[in-house]
Amino acid sequence: MDILITIAQLIVFIVVSPFISGLISKIKNNIRMRKGQSIFQPYYNFFKLFAKGEVVSQTASWIFKVTPFVVIASSLAAASLVPALITSGPSFFLGDFLALIFILALGRFFMALAALDTGSAFGGMGSSREMFISSLVEPAVCLVIFAVSLQFGTTNIASFSHIHMVSISSLAAVAALFFVVIAETSRIPVDNQETHLELTMVHEAMVLEYSGRSLALIELASYIKQMMWFFLIAQIIFPIALPIFGNGGQFFYWFLWYLARILIIAIAMAVVEASVAKMRLFRVADFLGFAVVLAMVATVCAILGV
Amino acid sequence: MPGLFLFDPLSIFFIFVIAIVSLPSAVYSVGYLKGGGSRFATTLSWILLCLFVASMGLVVTVNNVIAFLVAWEIMSLVSYFLVIADAKHERSVQAGTIYIIMTHIGTAFLVAAFMIMAKYAGSFNFAAIKSACLVMPPQIKNIIFLLLLVGFGTKAGIVPLHIWLPYAHPQAPSHISSIMSGVMIKTAIYGIIRFVIYLLSADTAWWGILILILAIISCLVGVIYALMEHDLKRLLAYHSVENIGIILLGVGLSMFFLSIHLPYLAVFSLIAGLYHLVNHAIFKGLLFLCAGSVYKATGTRDIEKLGGLIKKMPQTAVCFLLGAMAISALPPLNGFVSEWLTLQAFFLGAFKVTGVSRLFLGVCAALLALTGGLAAACFVKAFGITFLAQSRSRHAEEAKEVSLSMKVGMYFLSFLTVAFGLAAVPVMRLLAKVAGTATDVDTKGVIFSLNNFIVNPLAEKGIYLSPLWLALVLLILGAIAFALFLLPGRRKAVSYSTWDCGYYQLDARNEYTATAFSKPFRIAFSFFLLPYRRTQKIRESFYHVKSFVYETHTTPVFRKYGYAPVLALVFGIAKSMRRIQPGSIHLYLSYIFVTVILLILFMGRFH
Amino acid sequence: MQGIVLFGVLACTYLMVIAKRMPALIRNFRYQSFFLFLATFVTAFQERQIDLYIIAGLLFVLKVIAIPYVLYRVIKRTKVNEDLGLFVNAQLSLLSALGLTYLSWILARHLVAPVDRVEVSTFTVALFMVSTGIFLMILRMTALAQIIGLLVMENGLFLLASMVSGGMPFFVEIAIFFDVFVSVVIMGFFLYRINKLFTHIDVNKLSRLKG
Repeated sequence: MDILITIAQLIVFIVVSPFISGLISKIKNNIRMRKGQSIFQPYYNFFKLFAKGEVVSQTASWIFKVTPFVVIASSLAAASLVPALITSGPSFFLGDFLALIFILALGRFFMALAALDTGSAFGGMGSSREMFISSLVEPAVCLVIFAVSLQFGTTNIASFSHIHMVSISSLAAVAALFFVVIAETSRIPVDNQETHLELTMVHEAMVLEYSGRSLALIELASYIKQMMWFFLIAQIIFPIALPIFGNGGQFFYWFLWYLARILIIAIAMAVVEASVAKMRLFRVADFLGFAVVLAMVATVCAILGV
Repeated sequence: MPGLFLFDPLSIFFIFVIAIVSLPSAVYSVGYLKGGGSRFATTLSWILLCLFVASMGLVVTVNNVIAFLVAWEIMSLVSYFLVIADAKHERSVQAGTIYIIMTHIGTAFLVAAFMIMAKYAGSFNFAAIKSACLVMPPQIKNIIFLLLLVGFGTKAGIVPLHIWLPYAHPQAPSHISSIMSGVMIKTAIYGIIRFVIYLLSADTAWWGILILILAIISCLVGVIYALMEHDLKRLLAYHSVENIGIILLGVGLSMFFLSIHLPYLAVFSLIAGLYHLVNHAIFKGLLFLCAGSVYKATGTRDIEKLGGLIKKMPQTAVCFLLGAMAISALPPLNGFVSEWLTLQAFFLGAFKVTGVSRLFLGVCAALLALTGGLAAACFVKAFGITFLAQSRSRHAEEAKEVSLSMKVGMYFLSFLTVAFGLAAVPVMRLLAKVAGTATDVDTKGVIFSLNNFIVNPLAEKGIYLSPLWLALVLLILGAIAFALFLLPGRRKAVSYSTWDCGYYQLDARNEYTATAFSKPFRIAFSFFLLPYRRTQKIRESFYHVKSFVYETHTTPVFRKYGYAPVLALVFGIAKSMRRIQPGSIHLYLSYIFVTVILLILFMGRFH
Repeated sequence: MQGIVLFGVLACTYLMVIAKRMPALIRNFRYQSFFLFLATFVTAFQERQIDLYIIAGLLFVLKVIAIPYVLYRVIKRTKVNEDLGLFVNAQLSLLSALGLTYLSWILARHLVAPVDRVEVSTFTVALFMVSTGIFLMILRMTALAQIIGLLVMENGLFLLASMVSGGMPFFVEIAIFFDVFVSVVIMGFFLYRINKLFTHIDVNKLSRLKG
């Protein structure tokens, strides 16, 4: 039973995650007074890419070819650890909150290698920048996990899939985590998903040589990763317990709140993205330094018990 | 009279570590030494190798401080000879000199510590010293601890005593680098565990905290220097500094928990440290062997001149990739398990302590995470620039896969990186015994169930990690994605050159270099690295710039601001001493005469 | 008998101090050694000890015949100016020697009971010889003087040992003899090499070698 729910969770992630991305894009464009693309554009893109042939660089090796599978496997494995549909089950025996960092690092490592593999200067640039940003992200994530798990006394993710008090520490931790997610999902002001300008792009520079189904898989992986982060944030700041299936009306409200909290985060993300300007790469260090400071605040609050 | 040897689980564990790295390195050296140097040189290097391994075995098994010192010195001297094995190069001799000086400074501190211990114990035996340490005054214990820390820290390469490590390790032949980096510096960790935890029983809180601070500094400094380094073997040597730091984090935490009476956590932390120790031995040994293969095949260690080797040396590339993944702590390889354990030790500790200690542990954990991120970046650079894309020089283009014996050595260690990742639970059960012996804690309270483990009395909710399941899940998910990829449809893959903005001449000169790759880090850490650059335009005429020279260097902070002033002082004193040394034999004779007279007068005073 | 020997040794030593040329120095060393041999032989005759006979024999063979012969040969082979090269002239050297004698006497009186006059004078002479050895080594330019100086010091120590404490143990004595002989041979060889390389044996000029 648990295994089935875990699989269901993964399927939900695969199916829903492009929608969240499309939604953010739509909100962002509306804030900018534009009509914007359809909310379902990521799905169209996915099927378009899936139907297309591929161009593989002559200089590329097998690293380039296996990377899409490694990336999507690591994203899905991370997604299976998040308490979205399930709060206990076999996937929680895979690892804990800390293991999440390492699992995501696996996909990133291969992504950066594949970017170097084609011998293009763009790929190298993207790879270098991505590793730079991610290495600065890690301490912030670690401190966030530290602050959160101090409140629960364990790093087991299942333990905070219940209703709990939202403390000041949680708020600070979520703020820090929000910064981290901006960097992790390559959004403004750290990166920009919408351009292919070599001066600014990070993630797009890495995937520049990918096409066809490989690109579709990589894009899907990044949608899944984004949704996973959103669910983590939601679970920390808008904690929710298991649904009560018996009562129809109660279940309806539960489900509404369940969706609304993700929506709130998506809107917040879109607002932030629409209202700030892209930073220079070396300002990103300051940006993530701010995230570390916030996480420190969260830790101190957690120690003080507020 | 107890024997000269001691075979408790701690010693056996270290013998095991020595064996699993030395054996493949020895097999590897068969191919590595072929075609280089005379028969005599080869024989000599074999004899030295045997002596080296034997001396390390002695260091970790003897039962007596004098015997320990003797074995320690043999180990240092033999490794010195191995470093200068390639004595034709000026750099080898120079590296050897730095090494021998540093290691002897360290030994001097050890001798002092041992003498104090022996004075209190009235015996050189470990057992006698252990019982004497129970009644020793605390100030004396502190002094002994500091002496031991400097002595072993020099060998382990703790910052700022690491100065010799990036010179000596790369200069030795690769199978020796592998043993030196994989095992020899671990004997210093053995020393710290044996003497500080086992004999002195680590009952002072600031000892552990001091080690934690030094360890975290070592981690960061090691990895930042590694990022800047473009010599493949020196890069690996700097990573040894980093990984020794991670190992010491486990050891230091264990000491800290012992001093505040959290025995189970102490055992857990020590398990993490020891696990990382054996893992580092495996993957660093592997990486050095791979680097040696690259050197053998291309004749250069400068990664800016390499590239594209994944097609020329596919098997070496796979081995190096496994090693790089392991050292970057990627699941499901062994480095991941031990780094996770170390982080977890910090977290578990933070749940139990209160106040500022919590914040301290949290910050340490965050810095460890930063180290992990930087290490991953460094190995993306090392693997990507060396093995991927196009070859940057003729040497790299003409590279051939290495001989069978070298591959066997690398395969064995590659297998171990996977095995030690997947078999985490049985390994931990064994390590619990080792850590239990070292800390004198009964480890029955630490429960390991199948494929996950629960540190029983501490976390009621249980913390799970199952590398085996994780590997399986990753494999299944990857396979599903691959199946999706293979769905029928238009999936013709066209092979074409990389997009070159319509330039039509994309070659290795367009590739990103290692210098460029590390530039963001160089700028972000410029407060520590103090980089400077030199640019020069070579012009044909005012309007036409023929070529452009760009050089960038980082300032070796420790050498420039730490060691150089000391050396300058020593040389300054020596220079002023030279004034009384005019080279005249007559004057020297009169010095002797005057000295004798003065000594006679001096004696007369006391009669 | 002892008085004669002591007087002879002292006279030879003074002659060495004022010697300006190498052959004179070696000759005086030979006489000095001969007096020592005489003393040892007499003691051996009185005490009827076979060890002492052997030591006396060795003394005669090595110090009276072999070493001077080697040194003469070296001088001949090197074919250099036979001047010793004095830092201080002969008169001043003599005065210094007198001063050294006085100092030795004071020191000897400190060290042994002043009642035993023979012992005091033996001590004085022995100490004087040691200090003269150093004096020669420091204040003479050529390398030969350093060798002789060393030998004179050794003679002084021998005198001290044999007359005051009844001689060193037999094997030690033998070992010292061989040591001295071997060192003279080696130093002689070095002298030859130095001369060949630098065309002189003036050690003062060796200071140019230092870095």
